[in-house]
Amino acid sequence: MEKVLEVVDLRVYYEIPQGTVKAVDGVDLEVFKGEILGVAGESGSGKSTLALTIAGLLRPPAKVVSGKVLFKGVDILKLGNDELRSIRGRRIGIIFQDPVTYLNPIYTVGFQVGEVFEAHRGGKVGKYFSEVINLFKAVRIGDPERRVYSYPHQLSGGMKQRVLISIAIAEKPELIVADEPTSALDVTIQAEIVELLNEIRKELNTSIVFITHDLALLLEIADRIAVMYAGKLVEVGRADEMYKDPLHPYTKALISTLRYERKRRPTPIKGSIPSLINPPPGCRFHPRCPYAISKCSQVDPKLSSVGGRLVSCLLVGGSNG
Amino acid sequence: MTLVRYLVRRVWHSIPTLIGALLFIFILVRVLPGDPARLIAGPEALEEDVQRIREQLGLDRPLHVQFIDYVSTILRGDFGRSIKFGTPVINEILFRLPYTIVLALVAEVIAVAVALPLGILSALRPNSKVSYITSIISLVGASTPSFWIALILIYVFSVSLKLLPSSGAESPRHIVLPAITLSLVLMGNLTRITRSSVIEALSSNHVLTAVAKGLKDRVVIMRHVLKNALIPIVTIMGLQVGNLLGGAIITETVFAWPGIGSLLIDAIFFRDYILIQGIILFMVLVFIVINIVVDVVYAYIDPRIRDILWRMT
Amino acid sequence: MEDDLILKKASEARRKQLASMWRVFKSNRVAYTSLYVLVGILLLVVVSFVYTPYNPYEFNLGRARQPPSPQHLLGTDELGRDILSRLMVGGRYTIGISFISVLLGSLIGSILGLVSGFFGGHVDTVIQRVVDVALAFPTTLLAIALMVSLGPGVLSLIMAISISTFPVYTRLVRGVVLQVINEDYIAAVKLLGRSSWYIIFKHVLPNVISPIIVQTSYYLGFSILLASALGFLGLGIPPPTPEWGSMVSTGRVYLFSSPHIVVFPGLFITVTALSFNLIGDGLRDALDPKSRMFLRRF
Repeated sequence: MEKVLEVVDLRVYYEIPQGTVKAVDGVDLEVFKGEILGVAGESGSGKSTLALTIAGLLRPPAKVVSGKVLFKGVDILKLGNDELRSIRGRRIGIIFQDPVTYLNPIYTVGFQVGEVFEAHRGGKVGKYFSEVINLFKAVRIGDPERRVYSYPHQLSGGMKQRVLISIAIAEKPELIVADEPTSALDVTIQAEIVELLNEIRKELNTSIVFITHDLALLLEIADRIAVMYAGKLVEVGRADEMYKDPLHPYTKALISTLRYERKRRPTPIKGSIPSLINPPPGCRFHPRCPYAISKCSQVDPKLSSVGGRLVSCLLVGGSNG
Repeated sequence: MTLVRYLVRRVWHSIPTLIGALLFIFILVRVLPGDPARLIAGPEALEEDVQRIREQLGLDRPLHVQFIDYVSTILRGDFGRSIKFGTPVINEILFRLPYTIVLALVAEVIAVAVALPLGILSALRPNSKVSYITSIISLVGASTPSFWIALILIYVFSVSLKLLPSSGAESPRHIVLPAITLSLVLMGNLTRITRSSVIEALSSNHVLTAVAKGLKDRVVIMRHVLKNALIPIVTIMGLQVGNLLGGAIITETVFAWPGIGSLLIDAIFFRDYILIQGIILFMVLVFIVINIVVDVVYAYIDPRIRDILWRMT
Repeated sequence: MEDDLILKKASEARRKQLASMWRVFKSNRVAYTSLYVLVGILLLVVVSFVYTPYNPYEFNLGRARQPPSPQHLLGTDELGRDILSRLMVGGRYTIGISFISVLLGSLIGSILGLVSGFFGGHVDTVIQRVVDVALAFPTTLLAIALMVSLGPGVLSLIMAISISTFPVYTRLVRGVVLQVINEDYIAAVKLLGRSSWYIIFKHVLPNVISPIIVQTSYYLGFSILLASALGFLGLGIPPPTPEWGSMVSTGRVYLFSSPHIVVFPGLFITVTALSFNLIGDGLRDALDPKSRMFLRRF
């Protein structure tokens, strides 16, 4: 299958007064054409940084320390500003999490969507309004002819998110990065948006990197899932297989919280997310892991292949030991 | 249409404030030691004359009656007669008002012309030379006493270099030093607000969205950073009228610029309480009106406010 | 037992927080230096109570208007008085009055803001109206008007500046109070039977302290300028008191021949106000977590 995106040993760090935040610390990923790759992780796992880096939107104080992000074979981290600009919005689209702050309150939504066309086709934003109306129809924004002239604050959360989606898909990109696109919405709207994204994927045959903390959501929509913890990936594999048979202790714990029966309460994972400035030595999950052995605090396991799955745990097969 | 309603609403709400201010000014003058009637009559006058004047001015009536009288005369546009000059206060004010307006306008133009570009540039290029200069200017504006700067400017440009005049208002050159002095105070504030407003706008999330669309950097900055930053900046500019008025009092005094600021100080020197009262009242009125105008303009610019107002009315 | 442990941990956390705030403040070299400068000036003023090079009130027309020299470090003024001594003593007035006035203004303003926000209703409306009226005057104008009415003198000056500065605090504190009491957890605290005082101290105060401190630092700088401006206009403390502003005013006539008479008092005013402003900037950066360079996008 054709590979749309390949991330090779990516490390992205921030320098802040308190120290160096290792938000992404050695991540390898592949995204194939037309698939939905879910990236699951708690807040503080570095997934948003990953999203921004893939979309070519990283800004100081974050810095790519090493690694490659190959979009269709081209390392976008090495591209100049002009080349990046022609990719942004046209070949890679991004959907942000919070539609309230990510839309400019002083311009109409129609204008803000039209800007995507202006950026890549030139001319004035005004002449693209009819295309924007079509887009609004596609993402199912009601009464689109009137809505193009609305301001963001006049729309509901779900509608605003659809506007952000229109911005992302306007030029039919080959890759869409969705950074928590549903986290700010009601559950019922969430389902609609997820539906919508699935349709878009089918219609445009585009790949989606769907980043969220909601593993249950991913299990429904994603083809493959990558689980991220403290800046690193701990397990990558097909969604249905992971649900049936999670291999990494962290994934196991996450899945078990989804599968509890009515009588029993889910057991929370003890402890809390580690600091990205001073991660625990060895395996980053070991302080919270019920299966940890002494070696886990000394050796940091690498992602290795275990029967079609990628897992980084000393206790799970592979040549890690 | 809703803007007009908002305007009416704002004016309506300012009325109690206005009355409060009137009350305050009224009390101010009444608390003063000294007998206004005697002051007007002069130290040689006989007791009967003083009494007559007292009755004429209604000074022997109970305070609340005096206040109501006061308010009603104000509403008629009658600010009283100056003790020193004998002419209507409102005339004195209106005669010197244009000078203050011109000074204020020129000072504002200078301040904006310097502060906005500097503020924007220093926000876009932190840790650069521009940023450094901007910090210095904003600090100077905020920390140096304007009367002192005025004197230093006079010393350098009037006394030593003999380039510019130091008092009076006969020619256009006369406005240079006073306007620069007044603008420095404004500049201090304005550069700082501009810079922080642009920095705030730069770190907004919607800027990231704009970049993600593939727009050129210049477009992003003009459309999504500067225009957003402009809103608080314009608001502050409107509010600065207060600083202008206060600063004008000092600047006009030092440079003997014949505006209402120096008129106030003269009136204080002459103990002309009617005139003092009138000028203070006039300035407060101007200030209140400007604040209302700023509010309405702000409502016009920001579509969110417009809709809140629409829902309110 | 557990309560004690929690309380101990809480106060430890607070101490750590204060220590880190101090560290951030220290790292701001400009603000830190200003602190030293300010302390230096304050020292000069304090020393004036025990020693001044010369008697600041004794004039000696034979030695009038002399430029700085080894005998008179900052020269002499138009009446032969030593300028340095006058500045040292004058500082008691200029700085002392500013301090007291701003402290008074912040105290009155904050209490009014607390009362206004907490009790709401008519009390709130009345206090708000008073604040509105005060804010309808440009600050300098208000101070001038008050000084005209109250007459010259130290007490009047203190009153005038306090009245000019308290409204901002009232608005500030009231805003925070309203924000806090609308939070959900306050309803929970109330249900637990805690008194209003408890809520004030435990929940409102911590939120309100930092903006008050930052505002006060700026206002201290501003009131130095205001007090000296009033002195310059002749509305402050009558001569021969060496208030810095009035020193500039009386020395003005000799601007041509002896500019130092005007320059030095103004310089002292500027440096003092500057220090307060820079410290205010430093405090704001140290106390406001948002302004720390954490996740700046651009």
